[in-house]
Amino acid sequence: MADVFVDAKGLSCPMPIVKAKKAIDTLQSGQLMEVHTTDKGSMNDFQAWVKQSNHELIEAKEDNGVFKFIVKKK
Amino acid sequence: MENVESITAEELHRKMNSGKEVVILDVRNETDYNDWKIEGKKVRSINIPYFNFMEEDEQVYAGLPKDTEIVVVCAKGGASDYVAEMLMEKGYKTWSLKGGMLAWSQFYVPTTVYLDEKLKIIQINRLAKGCLSYAVISEGKGMIIDPNKEIDVYIELAKQHQFKIEHVVDSHLHADHITGGPRLAAQVGATYYLSSEEAKGTNLKYEPLDRYDRIKVGDVHVEVLSIPTPGHTPGSTSFLIDNRFLMSGDTIFVGGLGRPDLGGKAKEWAEDLYHTVFYKLKDLPDDCLVLPAHYSDVREINEHGIVGEVLGKIRANNDIMRNEDKALFTEQVASAASMEKPPNFEEIVAINRGELQVDEERAIELEIGPNRCAVHHHG
Repeated sequence: MADVFVDAKGLSCPMPIVKAKKAIDTLQSGQLMEVHTTDKGSMNDFQAWVKQSNHELIEAKEDNGVFKFIVKKK
Repeated sequence: MENVESITAEELHRKMNSGKEVVILDVRNETDYNDWKIEGKKVRSINIPYFNFMEEDEQVYAGLPKDTEIVVVCAKGGASDYVAEMLMEKGYKTWSLKGGMLAWSQFYVPTTVYLDEKLKIIQINRLAKGCLSYAVISEGKGMIIDPNKEIDVYIELAKQHQFKIEHVVDSHLHADHITGGPRLAAQVGATYYLSSEEAKGTNLKYEPLDRYDRIKVGDVHVEVLSIPTPGHTPGSTSFLIDNRFLMSGDTIFVGGLGRPDLGGKAKEWAEDLYHTVFYKLKDLPDDCLVLPAHYSDVREINEHGIVGEVLGKIRANNDIMRNEDKALFTEQVASAASMEKPPNFEEIVAINRGELQVDEERAIELEIGPNRCAVHHHG
């Protein structure tokens, strides 16, 4: 179960990552964030952002047009 | 985002052609950027993903010029607005490209290739994808060759240059872009032509190109000759005007030969290409201007803004065409064809065959990315 959940469905780039960053900034190291987005560009962007920030991408999947990510804060 | 000033694709293109350097800051992720980006002879392109700007790290601004205008580009225009606003707050002179790469991919530039009292040839360049279409105009009548899916561009062109589109032709079944041929023809009441070899197995309504030796355009003696040039796809057709202009489809490019491998029959088709190049086209004069359907490098655009080169120069530059050893030729061509197919080519081919329908949004998505049709042979 994630420590914070970001519902970015219906938001366009760059808002999904802007919100995700705000949310993960509130977490302690090791905690989990779950993000849901419908923006098609997010897959590549999100993975690149997580990698870049040294967080860990635990899960990335698409479920009926919704992209779901679980990230563990570094 | 009222503070941020945006510019359209057309305005960006004007800046790119102004002779001054244009700095483009592309804020998409690295993978997408490496796949496909805005290029130009005077373009300085910098890639910094937009999320790097969220870190409040002054270092991110290090490479950015303070004294030149910066055009910020992203996939659809949202992230570029966001970054442009941040840059503005820091005192940079910036613009955001309205609609991003998506808008850029639907931007077309027409340039007149040739003009005399009887004949006008216009090349329509879709810069983002390197796709080229042509308008052959004579006595108020016109033929459109290889129209892309934004058919309004051609309808507008016909209005502007005062001609009626009577013939719409696809030089072959395209794998890199969705054709606008059938829809354009239907909308303006023109005939749509395609080689029946290309249309095999489809339910497309078309006039078989292979039935014609020439198609008259206008009231004059200017004629268009169909020269079947198999080797790119089996029913590839080229169009010759007066032995002076060869619309070569995807068979001969300014930078190299076509890609025979897309049908999975690389060796066979490479042999066809050999035959075409050395026999069918060998009698064309060196000063015949080759006007292809695609290009892959901005260096292929000449000083007049046109993608085209005289056959003599292409023959000279292109070792393959001079290499008369058939076995070596077919091997070189078949193996030089890069492993990378045009993005989404199977779906695009299905759409062009009339076997698949998609909505506008999906159509635009499918076309994102460069054409990858040309095989390069320069050593």
